[in-house]
Amino acid sequence: MNLDRFGMDTVTLAGSLEAKLAAMRAAGFSQVMLNSTDLVGHPGGEAAAITAVRASGLRVTGFQVLRDFEGLDGHLHAYKVEVAKAMLQMCRALGARVLLACSSSSAHATGDPERLVADLRKLAMLAVPHDIRIAYEALSWGRHVNDFVQACELVEQADRANLGVALDSFHFIASGTGLEALDALNPEKLFLVQLSDFLWQEARSPTDRIETARHYRVFPGEGVHSEQVATLVRRVDAMGYRGDYSFEVFNDDYRSLPPTMVAERARRSAGWVSGLVSRRTLPARRRRG
Amino acid sequence: MSVEERLPEPSNPLGMDGIEFIEYATSQPQAFGALLASMGFAPVARHRSREVMLYRQGTMNLIVNSHEAGTATPQLSAIALRVRDAGYAHRRSLDLGAWDMPTRAAEMELLIPGIHGVGDSLIYFVDRYRDFSIYDVDFLPLAGADPRPPALAGLHWFGVVQAILPDRTADWLDFYQTLFGFSVLPQGKYFGVLPKGTLLESPCRKFYLQLIEPPPGAEEVRWNEELVRVGLGAPDVPRAVAALRARGIVFVDRGPVQPSDKGALTQPYLGGVTFELVVSHLAP
Repeated sequence: MNLDRFGMDTVTLAGSLEAKLAAMRAAGFSQVMLNSTDLVGHPGGEAAAITAVRASGLRVTGFQVLRDFEGLDGHLHAYKVEVAKAMLQMCRALGARVLLACSSSSAHATGDPERLVADLRKLAMLAVPHDIRIAYEALSWGRHVNDFVQACELVEQADRANLGVALDSFHFIASGTGLEALDALNPEKLFLVQLSDFLWQEARSPTDRIETARHYRVFPGEGVHSEQVATLVRRVDAMGYRGDYSFEVFNDDYRSLPPTMVAERARRSAGWVSGLVSRRTLPARRRRG
Repeated sequence: MSVEERLPEPSNPLGMDGIEFIEYATSQPQAFGALLASMGFAPVARHRSREVMLYRQGTMNLIVNSHEAGTATPQLSAIALRVRDAGYAHRRSLDLGAWDMPTRAAEMELLIPGIHGVGDSLIYFVDRYRDFSIYDVDFLPLAGADPRPPALAGLHWFGVVQAILPDRTADWLDFYQTLFGFSVLPQGKYFGVLPKGTLLESPCRKFYLQLIEPPPGAEEVRWNEELVRVGLGAPDVPRAVAALRARGIVFVDRGPVQPSDKGALTQPYLGGVTFELVVSHLAP
């Protein structure tokens, strides 16, 4: 597998946006998954952040994260539409072609599938003129959608060209999703694969999963589910996925270490993952940036 | 060429009824006006307060907007669609995820609602086009001008060509099908002399949209997502070509793009604006 298919998430590293981008580049990465706080929290403002990203030469894997979009009514829905539009505009400015949208954990959201499908379609429509794809991800603590299979079903029902799913190995493994969940998925509907492992065997309750997901993830090859991560990567590759992999690793310790050191760990992990599958697979066709 | 096999009646959720006007933006309205005159359009009215002119030819209304226009090369900046209820069309579009038109882009005194289309272009909704004209309010007729100049060689709106980025056809099909009820014509069903891309028929069956991705091998060509040109329908293309040539219009005459019974393409004018002629069964 080609190392150009791996990117790091800015959320993994400490320091300024510029320091994070430099560390990723120095470690040999060619792409980066950005977080909205990278832009809005930049001391020089959004424009300076966008300049830094473009100057880094790193391709933008995607932009995260739109939360709690689907299933809301009235003013809450209108409010979230405005948030989504602002995020799409940031994506556009950054040259990010994928916006990650997580399944809602809001107590105000309905679980009515018809409504969820309508909202996902609306989000996809908002993204069309900006040439952005929506990658819908089931959070393992999502209120109504908390399993990869559910996310796939909603995306299939919504049936929009620029709407697909994101697979996060943490949620997949933590929620005990079986690999057969991938059987029915059209590989072209898989828009992003986020890889991480974590430090203990189980995270049973939603509270455990939130705590683990936000503080104790590690790079693939460093945790206790290496075999499961490896199997998942092989399966995704075998089904024909040729898109990007990003390391979605939230870890308080990593944010206490020099970013160059953490990026080097990520680089080793990318080597471990790429060694899992045949090197004969070709990179996906890329649009010129 | 006609579409012999009619597919089942497509839905027309907005009660669409053709194109009310096409708008261009340019900072050189005189030069563009001269070109439009050669193409058979006549200036008929001037906007009351802004640098906006209305040209007309037969059933076609064409607006040239120079109010805060940025570029000299005329850009196709808006399509105004005739619909049953403009307010409803606007609300429904927004509910489905369209982006509202920025208020500063509302060049009309009348409130004409609209949404964002491709690139910087807008799509307006107009419901007053039968017994009352939007132009009666916003425009002052030019003294001595025929308010109903006849069409040259039966020219009428045939469609609009939109350039899209690679692998974007499906996205834009979703856009036009969901918001407006356009339907895709089967592959191979082409009109004119530029057979490529994907053709969509309006739900009112009065005009077409053509989506074109960059051709293979065009990686180095600058290719933006935008409206690139209008297609003018003509019942008899050679007759229309002859009439336009007599007025000084030059047609591309090389390679596969040669004036024929099916269609013709003008040379680029004013830095890039072209017009396409297409043999058309659409009644003007």
